[in-house]
Amino acid sequence: MAAVRDNVFPTRMNLTVTKTRLKGAQTGHSLLKRKSEALTTRFRVILRKIEDAKLKMGKVMQTASFSLAEVAYITGDIGYQVRENAKRATFKVAAKQENVSGVLLPAFEAEVRAGAGQFELTGLGRGGQQVQRARTAYVAAVAMLVELASLQTAFVILDEIIKVTNRRVNAIEYVIIPRIENTIAHINSELDEQDREEFYRLKKIQSKKKERAARAQKEIDEAARRAIADGNLHQAVGGDAPAARDLLAEQADEDVIF
Amino acid sequence: MNEIHFNVDAGYLEGVVRGYRDGLITSPQYLNLTQCETMDDLKLQLATTDYGSLLQNEPSPLSTSTLAARCTDALVAEFQYLQQNAAEPISRFLDYITYGYMIDNVILLITGTLHERDTHDLLEKCHPLGFFDSMPALCVATTVKELYHTVMVDSPLAGYFRECLSAEDLNELNMEIIRNTLYKAYLEDFDAYCRSLGDPTATIMSEILSFEADRRTVNITINSFGTELSKDDRARLYPRLGGMYPEAQTKLARVDDMDQVKAILEQYGEYRSMIVGVNLSMAGGDSGSSALSLEDRFFAKEVQLNKDSFEQQFHYGVFYSWLRLKEQEIRNVVWIAECISQHQKDKIANYTNIY
Repeated sequence: MAAVRDNVFPTRMNLTVTKTRLKGAQTGHSLLKRKSEALTTRFRVILRKIEDAKLKMGKVMQTASFSLAEVAYITGDIGYQVRENAKRATFKVAAKQENVSGVLLPAFEAEVRAGAGQFELTGLGRGGQQVQRARTAYVAAVAMLVELASLQTAFVILDEIIKVTNRRVNAIEYVIIPRIENTIAHINSELDEQDREEFYRLKKIQSKKKERAARAQKEIDEAARRAIADGNLHQAVGGDAPAARDLLAEQADEDVIF
Repeated sequence: MNEIHFNVDAGYLEGVVRGYRDGLITSPQYLNLTQCETMDDLKLQLATTDYGSLLQNEPSPLSTSTLAARCTDALVAEFQYLQQNAAEPISRFLDYITYGYMIDNVILLITGTLHERDTHDLLEKCHPLGFFDSMPALCVATTVKELYHTVMVDSPLAGYFRECLSAEDLNELNMEIIRNTLYKAYLEDFDAYCRSLGDPTATIMSEILSFEADRRTVNITINSFGTELSKDDRARLYPRLGGMYPEAQTKLARVDDMDQVKAILEQYGEYRSMIVGVNLSMAGGDSGSSALSLEDRFFAKEVQLNKDSFEQQFHYGVFYSWLRLKEQEIRNVVWIAECISQHQKDKIANYTNIY
């Protein structure tokens, strides 16, 4: 893949910053991965519980609705009477929150108030036992429903969150980390390139300097030899200063451009 | 000498009722019904009985509640036919039969009024047999006191109310206690009325009503275990008639659990056989047991008594018996339908066979 990288200026500071980011991304990745694993474990447990609960549910509901049929057989229709006499709930559901690796899962808890409730006298004339039995059966069924509801909500939420977490893990692993690595590689290569240029420049300057020094030396030698050749030692000694002045004037050559 | 004049007034109706009796589902038909796998099969089987024409126009996924409603409609239609054709002594007897349903309806209305429900909705829930003329007027009353003063005093039940309750009680007492108090008064009154009718009716009806009273006594005892109903109140709800009055009732008023009830019932010949083999731990909530419950025994006994009343002629008991048998039949059919629709075939045989 043609290296996707951040658009940063290749400087040493940016390199440090990007390296810190890489470190952060890696830590985040491992943390998220662990979270996802924890959630998945939890998810499996819930899944197993849901399966059990659903299987049990069928049976409990069947018993309950059948006990209602028994009541209908013996007592007749008591629905209205029971509904009217219900004043306070004997069965309450409390919603709680459970924290699973940072995910808040709602948990429902059933609270059954003790006592037979207001309609304990229902069916006094006939079928009271069946009424109470149907009541017990339905309390069990509702408790089951509450448990199942709690599991089911947790199931849906966990499913969603596991998906999100896995998406993040993969995003970090396959997109963010490679990009940061590419960026680092890019910065490094740019910096190396700069180093090499700098080195070359220094070399070039050095060689120019050497060349110039060699030429100056040569001119001095030349002048000295000419003076000796003229035999004008005295002039040569006395004309030492003008000769040096000339040399400086001669230095007005072109600038070296790299 | 009753027998000579009996047919003048009651001959036609007795004939009708005996004809109705022959329409009751017989045991081979019950066997066929229990063989059904789906509600449609059941409908098909019922088509050969008196219910056939009723269910013809019902849409195919037949629910048990529709079935029950249709059957009750049929029962009501037949009973109302009897009422419309009845002359003085029988019409009064038939009215007496409906008082039981009236009590239920009135309790329903009072409960609804206490909770400020719309009384028009309540009227739809009332049992059609328990309708009386002033009942729609109950809708006008908004408080219980008003209800009592304006409506109840005109109703046939006024006497029962006057005897046992005051308007203040209506607000305070548990509805279930009121219902049972009224029912007790009704049973006693009905029994007294039957006795006044003279011999064949009196003998037969007193037997049936005694049994009804005994059954209520036992049931009230069993069902009041572990409730707020005090023992004095319990004793006050026992009808003052029947084989258990007064001796067994005084004993039953003091018991605390099923074993003691059993010990008392064993002293009475007709009930000893009934409690043998009955699962007494029923109150513990063991719904898985397929053993016949005490209620089932009571039903069987009731059916037996009511069948016996058809063995004699020239008495009014047949009307009461037919209604009870028909009710039992509806219960049976609904039970079978429930078992089929809930796939509980192992309990399907728990109905009470009639013929």
